[in-house]
Amino acid sequence: MRLLKKTNINFLGARKICYAISGALVLVGILSLIFGGLDFGIDFRGGTELIVKFSNPIEVSEIRSALDKVGLGRSEIKLYGGEGTMFLIRTTEQGEGNIISDKIKETLQKGFPTNAFEVLREDKIGPKIGKELRLDALYAVLWSLVAILIYVAFRFKYTFGIGAVVALMHDVLTTFAFLTIINQLFPALNVEITQEVIAAFLTIIGVSVNDTVVIFDRIRENLKLHRSLPLMDVMNQSVNETLSRTIITNGTIFIVLLVLLLFGGEVLRGFALTLTFGTITGTYSTIYIASSFVLDFTNYMGKRKKKS
Amino acid sequence: MKKYRGRIILVLAAVILCVVFLWPTYKDYSYRKTLSALTGEDSLKYFEEHRDKIMSAHAKRMKLGLDLQGGMRVVLEVDVLQMLEDMAKNKDDNFYTIMKELRAETAGSEFDVVSAFVKKFQDRGISLRRYYGSVRDSEEKIVDMLKSEAEKGVDRAIEIVRNRIDQYGVSEPTIQKQGGKRIIVELPGVKDEAEVTELLRGTAKLEFKLVKDPQITYKVMDAIDKYLAGKTENDSLAAPSTLSQKDTLSRNALSELTGGQSIAREDTSKEAQFFREHPFYTYVIPDQNGSGDGYVKAKDKDRVARLLEREDVKRLLPPDFQFVWTQKPQKFRDGSEYYQLIAVRATPELTGGVITDAMQSVDPEDNRPIVNMEMNSEGAREWARITGANIGKRIAIILDNACYSAPVVQQKITGGRSRITGMETPNEARLLEIVLKAGALPAPVTIIEKRTVGPSLGEDSIRSGMTSLIIAFIITIFFMILYYNNAGSVADFALLFNVLFILGVMAAFQATLTLPGIAGIVLTIGMAVDANVLINERIREELQAGKTLRAAIDAGYTKAFSAIFDSNITTFFTGIILYQFGTGPVQGFALTLMIGIVATMFSAIVITRVVFDMMVDYGFKPNFG
Repeated sequence: MRLLKKTNINFLGARKICYAISGALVLVGILSLIFGGLDFGIDFRGGTELIVKFSNPIEVSEIRSALDKVGLGRSEIKLYGGEGTMFLIRTTEQGEGNIISDKIKETLQKGFPTNAFEVLREDKIGPKIGKELRLDALYAVLWSLVAILIYVAFRFKYTFGIGAVVALMHDVLTTFAFLTIINQLFPALNVEITQEVIAAFLTIIGVSVNDTVVIFDRIRENLKLHRSLPLMDVMNQSVNETLSRTIITNGTIFIVLLVLLLFGGEVLRGFALTLTFGTITGTYSTIYIASSFVLDFTNYMGKRKKKS
Repeated sequence: MKKYRGRIILVLAAVILCVVFLWPTYKDYSYRKTLSALTGEDSLKYFEEHRDKIMSAHAKRMKLGLDLQGGMRVVLEVDVLQMLEDMAKNKDDNFYTIMKELRAETAGSEFDVVSAFVKKFQDRGISLRRYYGSVRDSEEKIVDMLKSEAEKGVDRAIEIVRNRIDQYGVSEPTIQKQGGKRIIVELPGVKDEAEVTELLRGTAKLEFKLVKDPQITYKVMDAIDKYLAGKTENDSLAAPSTLSQKDTLSRNALSELTGGQSIAREDTSKEAQFFREHPFYTYVIPDQNGSGDGYVKAKDKDRVARLLEREDVKRLLPPDFQFVWTQKPQKFRDGSEYYQLIAVRATPELTGGVITDAMQSVDPEDNRPIVNMEMNSEGAREWARITGANIGKRIAIILDNACYSAPVVQQKITGGRSRITGMETPNEARLLEIVLKAGALPAPVTIIEKRTVGPSLGEDSIRSGMTSLIIAFIITIFFMILYYNNAGSVADFALLFNVLFILGVMAAFQATLTLPGIAGIVLTIGMAVDANVLINERIREELQAGKTLRAAIDAGYTKAFSAIFDSNITTFFTGIILYQFGTGPVQGFALTLMIGIVATMFSAIVITRVVFDMMVDYGFKPNFG
């Protein structure tokens, strides 16, 4: 079977429009990052988080009014899962030992004596840890970018290295923007920055650079074969030649992640969602950010050389 | 055939190794299935018959992470500052002021506490010699000593946590040191969270405290009793309106055991009257041997402890006077359990840091269990003074405010080697040994992170993880065959090995499978296709360019290699960084991702190549669709 006959699409010709679209999304991502458009999960904030499952359905407001009586009414209470019996209760309140979680459990027990509940998960994170993890996450992303910059610049050319890293930053920021938008549109999905989501961001970096390197590899090869062709034509040819591979590979990854999103359960949802979108933006950025950057940067340097 | 031999052997060896490593996991799974299918005695019998095999399979199986099997993860931090404070001698106002400042400054940050401590003293021009070591020691020597003590403190904390957990009986706990002062404790399958938290939270302080003169203790008890009697009318102490026969009986049993004259059977009204007159002695029965200890029924312990914590009751205690409880209740013949309440001097004579070793042993003369304890020279000097001045008195060995033993001082002990006798069983001696060793930790720990996953969430996670894995696998397999024809089935074959390799390598390294780890395998299935796609697309291109099948395969593999290598290695980098950054479950993901990348390259480059080469040689033409 073959999806595509030999194609000859002028991909890079459309790059200016794509710059605009990407620019807008990146801006959303940066703004979201600055103004906290996405909530940090318990890992990064510190506090106590419980996931409880009641035997009978119950309303969030009932839980809130029960917790309000013990001064924990400001806790975040969210429906968890689709059955109406599981809830996530979270407070940033810090207390010695188990005090906070015991208080919550006791309140729920007294408040709903006929509706027994089971604690599915319980996390208590000290304020120190939260701050450290936020820094660690930032360092992890930065170090990945640095490692990739060095490797790609070493194996290809330094402009390729920069192009790859610019594309990766674009992927991280647009995915961030995407998550923010999803969070605003569907607050019930509980999208927030957890350790798993950070892991997903790092994986996006890994998967996206994978895709970028494959096309760069073809460009490198074609540059040797067609020394007289302009860079843009070589790039277009390379993208076209690898197009069916791009579609099949990323299509498979996309489907696999969709499976994870649909069947992986509540715990993996944020992770799968982040990765699913990341695959799309990663594929797109290979052509319209990484390659386009290399093209425009090379042209710009060439012009400057001519002038001088 | 010859030209493939090396590669075929390589592939077969890898497969066999993986199967060997995964075998215990499979056996463990099937044993557990068999055991749960059998009931009661049958399952017990089956277990006894296959005990060794079951245990060894269980020990060698692939471990599941806490997120999959449920359990608790706790991160403890050693309070180095407190430790430095405890180590200091001749503490004065200057010292406490500096400590207070340091406490405020170091809160919430992870930096070198000892250096900050030293700097603070140096800035103020105060010599550390005043508080540590001897006058002759140089400042540098003291700084080095403090640093090494801080480090050792963390190691000892790990030891005490391990001891406590072992005593508690968690199967397969992991206890690791993280950074300079943190301890990560993972307790799979633990359900009673509150109890374990208590277990880990104790400050682990060993102290030797002088037991108070019985005459003083009795006076204090009398005072408390009288005070309470005057208040019984409106007291929160619940009046036992009727005491059951059984209670009276066990009181008799106790008085018999404590050597006093037996209390005659009293009727209920007499009991009630006794309670009105002696509310304290209703719950606390003084030892009739005159040791000064009070006996309290296990079920009354909380009640009495609360009472003794009350401010108004505390006011009745003389200065430097403290009640401590025995760590475990004592069991009497009739099955009743009593804690001992022991009065001690609040200021410890000595703290456990001076102990260098403790060893359980047997007295060669009467074969009774004993514990030998050794102290450092500084401790030995103090110990000689203390024991010399208190011959015939008792010294309580107290860990975390619980008294483990209160032996009588027989003679002045010089040289720091002491022998503790009086244990009933070797087990008691073993416990005392642990306590003495563990007590050498003069540092409190605090819990800074705690995560608990209930078993049902873990089961759900396994189910959803496995469902995704299987669905993703099936979809990918069908898609590859659809798109690449029989070359696709070769890729599928490689994919199957790929998953086998990931699991095999994980089992070989005794790595832990987590939910994100399963997600990593799912993602690897998607990404592993890439290498095959790159190769197959290349071969198609070469075929279109008019090459023969064999030449096209050769060229396809050669040309695709650099892309496969470069793209996978960059992904591998992020895997390494992720592993460094992540904790628990996320590390599991990074691990499967990295193993997956290596497995992918091996299966795509070696396995599929061998298959294609053989197909061509033996006339089954691979079809690239």
